[in-house]
Amino acid sequence: MRTIVCLKPVPDPKHWSQLRLDPKTKTLIRREIPSIINPLDKKALEAALQLREREGGEVVVLSMAPPNVIPVLREALAMGADRSILLSDVAFAGSDTLATSYVISAAIRKMSPYKLILCGDQTLDGSTGQVSAQIAEFLDIPNLMHVNAVETRQESGYRVRSRIEHGNMWVGVKPPVVLSVSKEMNEPRYITLMNILEGERKTIENWSSRDLLLTEPWVGLSGSPSQMAELFMPEARRRLEMLGGAPSEMVKRLADRLHRLGYC
Amino acid sequence: MDFKLSEREELLRKAVREFAEKEITPRMDAMEETGDFPVDLLKKMGEMGILGVITPVEYGGNGLGNLARIIVLEELGRVCPAIPMALQVHHMCTHAINAFGNEEQKKKYLPRLAKGETMGVAAITDPSGGSDVAGMKASAKLEGDKYILNGRKCFITNAHASEIWVVVARTGEAGARGLSAFIVEGNFPGAKLGRKENKVGLRGAITGELIFQNCEVPKANLLGHEGEGMNIAIRNIVETGRPGMASVGLGILNAVLEQAVKFANERVLYGKPISTLQMIQAHIADIYSDLEIARLLTYRVGWMRDQNIRCEAESALAKQFTCEAAARSARKAIEVHGSYGIMKEYAVQRLLRDALVAIPAGGTAEVGKLAIARHALNLFKS
Amino acid sequence: MVESNIWVFAEQRQCRLADVGLELLGKALEIAAPIGWKVAFVLVGHSLNDLTEQLLTYGAHEVLVADHPLLSSYCNQSYAKVLENAIRKHHPEIFLSGATAMGTDLSARLAAKLRTGLSAHCIGLELSSERKLLAVVPGWGGNILAKIYSPSTQPQMATAMPGVFEKPQRRKPRGKIIPIDANITPEDVTYQVLEIERGEIQEDTLERAEVIVAGGWGIGNKEEWHWLEKVASVLNGAVGATRPPVDEGWAKEGQMIGQSGRTVHPKLYIGVAISGQMHHMVGIRDAETVVAINQDPQAPIFEFCDLGLVGDYKEILPPFIEAVKQYST
Repeated sequence: MRTIVCLKPVPDPKHWSQLRLDPKTKTLIRREIPSIINPLDKKALEAALQLREREGGEVVVLSMAPPNVIPVLREALAMGADRSILLSDVAFAGSDTLATSYVISAAIRKMSPYKLILCGDQTLDGSTGQVSAQIAEFLDIPNLMHVNAVETRQESGYRVRSRIEHGNMWVGVKPPVVLSVSKEMNEPRYITLMNILEGERKTIENWSSRDLLLTEPWVGLSGSPSQMAELFMPEARRRLEMLGGAPSEMVKRLADRLHRLGYC
Repeated sequence: MDFKLSEREELLRKAVREFAEKEITPRMDAMEETGDFPVDLLKKMGEMGILGVITPVEYGGNGLGNLARIIVLEELGRVCPAIPMALQVHHMCTHAINAFGNEEQKKKYLPRLAKGETMGVAAITDPSGGSDVAGMKASAKLEGDKYILNGRKCFITNAHASEIWVVVARTGEAGARGLSAFIVEGNFPGAKLGRKENKVGLRGAITGELIFQNCEVPKANLLGHEGEGMNIAIRNIVETGRPGMASVGLGILNAVLEQAVKFANERVLYGKPISTLQMIQAHIADIYSDLEIARLLTYRVGWMRDQNIRCEAESALAKQFTCEAAARSARKAIEVHGSYGIMKEYAVQRLLRDALVAIPAGGTAEVGKLAIARHALNLFKS
Repeated sequence: MVESNIWVFAEQRQCRLADVGLELLGKALEIAAPIGWKVAFVLVGHSLNDLTEQLLTYGAHEVLVADHPLLSSYCNQSYAKVLENAIRKHHPEIFLSGATAMGTDLSARLAAKLRTGLSAHCIGLELSSERKLLAVVPGWGGNILAKIYSPSTQPQMATAMPGVFEKPQRRKPRGKIIPIDANITPEDVTYQVLEIERGEIQEDTLERAEVIVAGGWGIGNKEEWHWLEKVASVLNGAVGATRPPVDEGWAKEGQMIGQSGRTVHPKLYIGVAISGQMHHMVGIRDAETVVAINQDPQAPIFEFCDLGLVGDYKEILPPFIEAVKQYST
């Protein structure tokens, strides 16, 4: 039974204060910022490893990224994944979520048969939260988001708990299925020194666009329907919005604002 | 000469940093209060491989080596310097047995130490003087198939958390040639724990006394040969103790820089963060410089050890420089904090106290300088 | 025949309408008006008659309804199929939904079905001079803002953060109800909802609390401290304090937040009668939303807050508690 974990390396938030905006090309200069495994993807990998302990099988880590993310994949292997695949090609650059999901789904199709595809709900940087559902759509299989528990049912199905507003819902679903996990899912295990040595013996394969059967034009910048018109850094971190007026008015506005943000 | 760390070493740093931040940070208040090592973490540290980093794989370790060990201790020390203080002495114990023990001794003791069933101790310091190793008074007389050990060892790190002690005592003539080393278990008849010291810093590394009153040590527990004790002690200090203490200093320096930078960027005076003021910048530059120099010196010793290159002077230099730098930089960091620096809520005062304890531990600065001078004075002889 | 150019998804679960749908309707009506575009509110589910009647009062030009027993429980694939068919039939320019658990999931699948671009959790929406949708999207934890558009595909899709836009005023019902086909089979429902667990898990420690209400020296005395506990209670939060209230015995040592106390990462922090000195503020640096209430307009906390209220907490907290209670009824 094969579980595929989709993993994205993201710039380490501890270094985000070093982010600079290039005003001419409207892109982010992020060269010196080291990468980490996207925290929710790490929880997805931990979930996959726990499922493997229960059900056996193979855990494969898949990542669409430039070649300098090998250390991050090595970390995933040290955590316990069996092997990893890096999807890297100059043609993939500039992809929006549709193009990214399309390429990843093509790679997953190449790895059939598979039972489960796991990833994090969203990344720290782009944080669209769209990729897991779009991968599932391209593969024509079900998907569930905001997952915080997975149990195996009889008749080879899964019982999955998913967070909704004001609570959780338990859902029954048959594999193959894409599950994206939220932060309550688990606490990832530590990597031990022995794990690091074991991880070095595992393989990282490199696939380019030639290795995938890409039949549609949804690849890279030219295949991305979403385009960036402008990029800017907001001024102050805090909104500094003063609510004025008589106490009764301020109170109403505050309560309304908090209600709309979901706190009451 | 490649100054970059390997992929393995970078991942090692990341893995230990995560462990340290999650597991050690919550224990720190209790450690500062009681001065005790969090022994409940020992098993987890064993599982992490921290305890067996210089123990070969066939004896339960992972053998990643001396540079890896320094990185591990540095990352733990960044969070709490008392932890690498304790662990580096544990490594001294494992190194002594691994380098000088026979097959039975290694098979018997190294796996237990790697797993974290107990902590290890390297007991060299006599009340007669730690700097004067050759003059120690603790004695061991062979009677039949046992050595009878008498004497006291003081300022011993990990004493009250340890069941496996490497002890150096006098078996023969006066002076360096009459010393021998033994593996003593805490439950041997005649062995007992003495007082626990109340240190002003590095609280969380237990420092205590070992007392031997006609303690019976089986002949099989002699480490190496009779008369090899001085050599074992010196090599243990040079190869494991000094780099270990240097790593403690590195941990302190990392923490000091982080505290100083964070405070300087946040504290607002005259309408701006104080990091805009030149004198504060000078302090920060000094602390940063100390950290970078200390790191290069210490990593070099780790590398030399892994290449099996003799490093007497280099290890003395690393230890002596790093611990002095830690104290010096901690003081500067306190200046950066102004009056907040001497309040117990802020970490910098503890880091200064930690550095002050690190300076004489594992060899005083003066003894270190003698080693360096010995090496330097041999350089231009015709 | 459906005429609306902008469709807004009326998210509902078990016939409870999500506010974000209404907020988006308000925004859509606002950007459609100057160019004479029409806006439709789109409802998918089962037994929707009451809800449909209600929706007419919010000002949409059309209310599109797909009602089918197989749609009674939300399933992203079946809902997306219904919406895809309707969109392919009627060609709206723009499709909007909330960036909620349901909205993010549903619109992502729908965008992939339609091979179109989707801008995620935007905090601003406008139409360019060419009548293309421009979405203002935060990234990198809010440190970066981008304006995204999809020039060559249709419909242009976006999801929006709840609480950003204003709901439209209710008015006399206008607009046509237009049923849309719900041609789905049991095979389209790819998962079964087994049970729904209501209620949040109670967070009882300060470090794990999502909402923290903290009080400072300005509370004045122990007798008034209970106001903070009441506010925390209606918001399902925990109570924190700065050093002076702890010293005075109004709060416990474990509730102290700051350099010498706890560092916390709540989603919502409300600081009441707290001046905002550095050694407290470092403890809440990462809070998502900071609300400050203080009598002194010069208090430093007002330079580190998202929402600030200048006033006496004794006049603000009691009506605030009542207003919050209204929302949970």
